[in-house]
Amino acid sequence: MSTQSNGPGLSGLILKIYMAVFFVYLFAPLLVMSLAAFNSYEYPSVTQWRGWTLHWFGELAQDDRILQGIVNSVLVALGVVGLSLPLGLSGALILTRLQSRYTNVLYAVLVSPLLIPGIILGISTLIFWGRVDVPGGLFLTVLAQSSFIASYSMLLFMARLQRQDRVLEEAALDLGASSFFMFRRITVPFLAPTLITGAVIGFLQSIENYNTTIFAVGGDWTLVTEIGSRFRFGLSPVINVIGVLFVILTVIAATLYTIQKEREKQRRAALG
Amino acid sequence: MNSLIRSYGKGLTGIFVTLTAFWLLLLIILPQAFMLDQSLWSIDKDDQLGMKIDRAYSDLGLLEYDAQQATGDTNPAVQEKIDTLKEEIATLEAQETDPPREYGLQNYTRMSSLHFSIFVKSIFYALAVTVLAFAVCYPVAFTIAKLATPQRAALLMLGLIIPYAINELLRVYAWLMILDYQGVINSLLAWMGVVSFADKTWIPFLEYPGSVFVALIYAYVLFMIFPIYNTVETLDKNQLEAAQDLGGSVFLTHWRVVLPHAKPGIAVGCIMTFMLSVGSYSVPQIMTRGKSGDWFSQLIYRQFFETQNWNVGAAYAFSLVLVCLAFILIMMKVFKVGIRDISK
Repeated sequence: MSTQSNGPGLSGLILKIYMAVFFVYLFAPLLVMSLAAFNSYEYPSVTQWRGWTLHWFGELAQDDRILQGIVNSVLVALGVVGLSLPLGLSGALILTRLQSRYTNVLYAVLVSPLLIPGIILGISTLIFWGRVDVPGGLFLTVLAQSSFIASYSMLLFMARLQRQDRVLEEAALDLGASSFFMFRRITVPFLAPTLITGAVIGFLQSIENYNTTIFAVGGDWTLVTEIGSRFRFGLSPVINVIGVLFVILTVIAATLYTIQKEREKQRRAALG
Repeated sequence: MNSLIRSYGKGLTGIFVTLTAFWLLLLIILPQAFMLDQSLWSIDKDDQLGMKIDRAYSDLGLLEYDAQQATGDTNPAVQEKIDTLKEEIATLEAQETDPPREYGLQNYTRMSSLHFSIFVKSIFYALAVTVLAFAVCYPVAFTIAKLATPQRAALLMLGLIIPYAINELLRVYAWLMILDYQGVINSLLAWMGVVSFADKTWIPFLEYPGSVFVALIYAYVLFMIFPIYNTVETLDKNQLEAAQDLGGSVFLTHWRVVLPHAKPGIAVGCIMTFMLSVGSYSVPQIMTRGKSGDWFSQLIYRQFFETQNWNVGAAYAFSLVLVCLAFILIMMKVFKVGIRDISK
């Protein structure tokens, strides 16, 4: 293999062009969507250009259903994080310690929500809780989303627990620590990075979810289901403004993350 | 379990077990079981029931009037008639409020030929999306894992993840703007003089299933790239160089060295992409906007929220579960991977 980073000769060139086209495919739609947020034309478009405006940002600030949708989405996401982290951690602890023929079966069932379509999770939750007269709503949305987001956090915890050195825990117990004290002072600090990652991923997954939510949300709504219903009635550049805000938030988050990583690298380099 | 109790004590272990049991039973198994149950019965609604009850009530009124008119000793025969009529009304009303369930496979077998063809079509479309997504993603995953320098790989990764932080609906919506009748592509064509908006000779991209394919691949590309990247990354670079030194062509190197190594990742990527595509409600909903035919997921939605037939809806939903399950088992067999390799 040559020193070129993209391989030698013709095939390397083709691959380079391919990668460029691929990333255009990824980013061009976002550009189109963002641009339309600044167009005065009342139907989202970049080709019918009627001049730059910030009008739609003001419109969004007055859109009560969307603002309430954001509040609902955050409430649901907090509920999902609060429920799925303990569930995922419990499942991971049991699976890493349980030595039984049934471990694989338990594992398969606990990851199954990741392998079946999201609409199924919403439907089954709606039917089951409907039998005990709990109607669709934000509460059911939390339960339906948690069923699969807990699986994500379980996989994260399992990956972390596999690297755990159990000697520390045993030493603490031998020295007379109560099991609860040991859990709080040794296990939880060891798992702290995963708790944070799991919370962030769970929060984002919950905010973004549509396919499960649309079945479980009933008469309530979240930001995403409200956006979904706008596609049928009243499509306007306000939707694009939401897109722009998402893009801005993402870029800020990505920048902060990169800076954080750089700093960590430097700190590690300083420590030798 | 003993090792858990030894480390964390009975109290904490009890909490872990309770939480896991809650998750297992109330969020996974019981909802699926109730959905299956719901799909296995139907209510044979008697359209005449309301009329029968009304008629019985008017008969009852007449008889009671007769009984009152009959002064002196009440006719025991009339009284008996009144009693039987009242009983009849009670059973009819019970049927109306809680109609008898008829168990069987009728919700599955009575799928209309139109719905069945949509079911089959959706499976084929999802398979096509999976194959296309693999073809699109494999070079990208390989480039990031093996050809790019570490700094560039990190940058490319970031470039992959950023679109994913933007909501799925909005990402698909961006494609709607591009492929719409007066969208970006048609506007470009109009500018070049190929089509004309005035004559409505624009290309109706949204009426082709291909537009849904494009958006589906776009929406779920990361679920194909990441698993493949993770496995290719662990491939020893020396193996690649050895293959080339021994005169293997690019194609042969991939076919005999990289692909076999990446099997588990390919299996996981295909499973995720297939499952997400076949069960996606959002993408076909936005891209077709009712202009071209429904996808199966949209049919399911209609059963629940438009026709209000939850039994048929549950049967359709469970059929979808079976399809996904079959696909997973086939992939595990073909690629010879275990359940533990999946969803890593």
